[in-house]
Amino acid sequence: MNMTPRTVVVGSLLILGVIVFMVVVVPYATRIQAPSDIFRSRTSQEADGRSIYIANGCVYCHSQSIRSIDWGLGAERIAQAGDYIQDKPILLGSERTGPDLSQEGGEHPDDWHMAHFINPRYTRPLSIMPAFAFLGTEDIKKLTTYAQSLGLKNSDQRVERQQFWKKEAIEAYEKGPEANVKWLHETVPEGWRNVPNPYPTTEAGLARGHKIYQDFCLGCHSPIGDGMGPAQPYVYPPPLNFTILKGRGISGGILYYQIMNGITGTAMPYFKRELESEKIWDVGNYVAVNFINQTDADTEPKGIDAAYEP
Amino acid sequence: MTDPTPTMPTNYPTAKGFCLTSAFWMVVATSMGLLGATELIAPDLTENVGWLVFGRIRPIHVNLVLFGFVTPGLLAAAFYYVPKLLRTELYSEKLGVITVLAWNFTMVFVVVSLALGYTQGREYAEMIWPIDMLIVGGFSLVFVNLIMTVARRKEPILYVSVWYVCAGIVLTAVTFCLGNVIWRPNTGSLVGIPDAILLWFYGHNVFGLLLTPLSAGVAYYVIPRACRAPLYSHTLSLFGFWSLLVVYTHIGTHHLLQVPVPTWLKVISIVDSVAMVIPVMAFLINIWYTAKGKLGEIHADIGAKFVFTGTIMYFFVSIQGSMMALPDVQRVTHFNNWVVAHAHVGVLGFAGMIALGGIYYILPRITGRPLYSRFLADFQYWMILIGVIGFTVVLTIVGLIQGNAWLNGETVYRVLPEMHVYYITRASLGLMIFSSALMGLYNIVRSIFFNTGEIS
Ligand code: HEC
Ligand code: HEC
Ligand code: HEM
Repeated sequence: MNMTPRTVVVGSLLILGVIVFMVVVVPYATRIQAPSDIFRSRTSQEADGRSIYIANGCVYCHSQSIRSIDWGLGAERIAQAGDYIQDKPILLGSERTGPDLSQEGGEHPDDWHMAHFINPRYTRPLSIMPAFAFLGTEDIKKLTTYAQSLGLKNSDQRVERQQFWKKEAIEAYEKGPEANVKWLHETVPEGWRNVPNPYPTTEAGLARGHKIYQDFCLGCHSPIGDGMGPAQPYVYPPPLNFTILKGRGISGGILYYQIMNGITGTAMPYFKRELESEKIWDVGNYVAVNFINQTDADTEPKGIDAAYEP
Repeated sequence: MTDPTPTMPTNYPTAKGFCLTSAFWMVVATSMGLLGATELIAPDLTENVGWLVFGRIRPIHVNLVLFGFVTPGLLAAAFYYVPKLLRTELYSEKLGVITVLAWNFTMVFVVVSLALGYTQGREYAEMIWPIDMLIVGGFSLVFVNLIMTVARRKEPILYVSVWYVCAGIVLTAVTFCLGNVIWRPNTGSLVGIPDAILLWFYGHNVFGLLLTPLSAGVAYYVIPRACRAPLYSHTLSLFGFWSLLVVYTHIGTHHLLQVPVPTWLKVISIVDSVAMVIPVMAFLINIWYTAKGKLGEIHADIGAKFVFTGTIMYFFVSIQGSMMALPDVQRVTHFNNWVVAHAHVGVLGFAGMIALGGIYYILPRITGRPLYSRFLADFQYWMILIGVIGFTVVLTIVGLIQGNAWLNGETVYRVLPEMHVYYITRASLGLMIFSSALMGLYNIVRSIFFNTGEIS
């Protein structure tokens, strides 16, 4: 084959042309334009937030596409082409240094996001996400609006739920500790309230609880459990001061339930995805022993002892 | 900034300019990588310094590596070997020097705009429209200079290196325009899933139509020269060249196997990612058989040593890449540091090594004096080699930890502490690579400007 300059340049351009037609033009011409069940357009505030998301490279750490093999945040809804029909650019992402955000909307109330964007370590002690306090309150609010819209119609539903319970939580908090604790505990289903922590208090269990507390809770509830962690100025109602629970009907079951499910409407997140059952009992007992100074661990009714207990 | 000193009345100012450009931006690019790696260990290190936030540092790092360090390094060699192979002078050294200057200014704009948050948010296509124009302009100038040199050649036959560099530049200019959607200056993107398809068509071709052909061009030049042996097979060159263009260009969708793109497109990309073995081995067999029994000669020339090592890295990255395109493998490897490891073997181990090899191979030939320090170049070689292999091991381990933990249902947050110690190792290796870049810059500057070695 005689490789003249023309053969090289024209030949390779021809090949490229054919391939562009095949792998870019044809997919473009046959693209899905129908919106998916959850699709809606973005508001202008949400679109502004999206620009801030782009400008600060959130896309290098966060994907927005859920796969059928995912478990974590957003795994309830596998991505469809119809979710993205107004995204320019599309922000699928190529790395998950942080969790997928396609269903982030309504996962937390706005105040959690404020504290988290100011400095992610405030709400998530082990986070390696950068602090975004430098953006200023205005831009963080826009960013939050965008984060709350991720998941589109699905997120609207969740955000509404957060807002409903936010009102209730604030109302209860402002009535004073007695009423607040009463409200908090009324939200726990009755069957849980009288359940004591089934495991005995042990040194090993407390040490595990301590570690979990440091890794997950301390930014809000503070190292001494008084609710004055660094996130405190940004969340309202503020993180619970555990000491007020003493003598107010607290139980291992309540602690377990609240830690597992979180308290929608408040910054208190759920931990059922991150902590297995025993870890929740451990950290609950750590809180009960160290901060409330009142634990029901290993008291009746207990049921049959777990097989591994000594 | 290292001024490429257009007024120097010596030979090969364009090639020298690109050597300096590459060496300088390698320092900046690796310092950005090091900073990013450090931020993943100590995220509050740069707290409240907006322009140093990880999400801005990362694209600066990536784009500088691609367009500041590797591409100019490979071009430096091209501006030397194209006229040589064609037995003529470069069409215009003046145009070449202007290209070098424009290229450096463009890189400054890249850094400033990305640091200020002006980005289009698409990987490898982040730069805003005016900078896209500058980059396309840069590639066009290079193309004009090279093709005019070809037109004035005294040697009728075009050697394979010339095919690669000419095709690589012209195809990159075209795919760059397509990938950056330059007909939509505001967003620089299409809408929805087609945007992702186009982006990865382009993103993949940054490696397939820019780094790989330019690196292949250098290898095809340096290895036979250093071995003083004829190229093993002309047929393999032809076969490797055309099959690369056909196969590499349409597998970009293997970056999108887990998102809702048309299944037929995924199937094509998977099948032909495996078929990439053909162009890759055609090239490698040709190079390796040329060097068969001549490893002593290669070892003796530091430039050839870099280049030859680059070809070995090419083997590994490509075989790994073909594996990574298999859906069952990608269930574990996608979205995590496994891919980052692959990217570093490819861009630093393969294309970066060959770029440095090209520079060190031509430096004595364009200055007429030996390298300022062969020892420093050798030291740099080992630091980069250890750095890349270290990266690969460490990041592959982290990738496997992440991927398997996620598959097993663990949340991203829970896996973070497990990665910490590997991230520290990774940043240490990054420090090594950064130091080697400084060393390289010093060596290259001394070789060009203050070289007191015997004129040969
Ligand atoms: C260095 C990588 C990195 C960057 C850049 C980054 N994040 Fe994160 N992000 C993380 C990590 C890691 C987590 C998990 C720990 C945590 O919650 O902080 C996270 C968590 C989050 C969460 C909480 C998810 C949840 O509900 O648990 C949101 C929301 C979020 N990021 C938004 C953003 C936005 C918006 C940006 C850009 C302004 C951004 N992130 C930039 C790494 C990053
Ligand atoms: C982002 C801040 C935040 C984090 C992190 C957090 N909490 Fe909370 N927590 C709160 C807030 C806010 C409340 C509710 C305050 C209110 O409504 O008065 C709360 C309430 C609680 C309650 C309810 C007590 C009751 O009697 O109903 C428990 C128990 C609790 N947190 C334990 C934990 C544990 C254990 C962790 C770590 C695993 C944790 N929290 C992490 C903010 C946080
Ligand atoms: C036959 C050759 C190759 C094949 C089949 C291949 C395949 C792949 C695949 C499947 C991915 C996506 C991984 C994922 O997201 O899960 C990938 C990513 C990547 N590859 Fe390759 N690869 C090859 C060669 C190369 C070479 C030679 C280079 C560099 C010169 C390279 C650089 C990269 C980079 C930088 C990425 C990361 C892209 C991102 O930002 O997500 N690859 N490759």
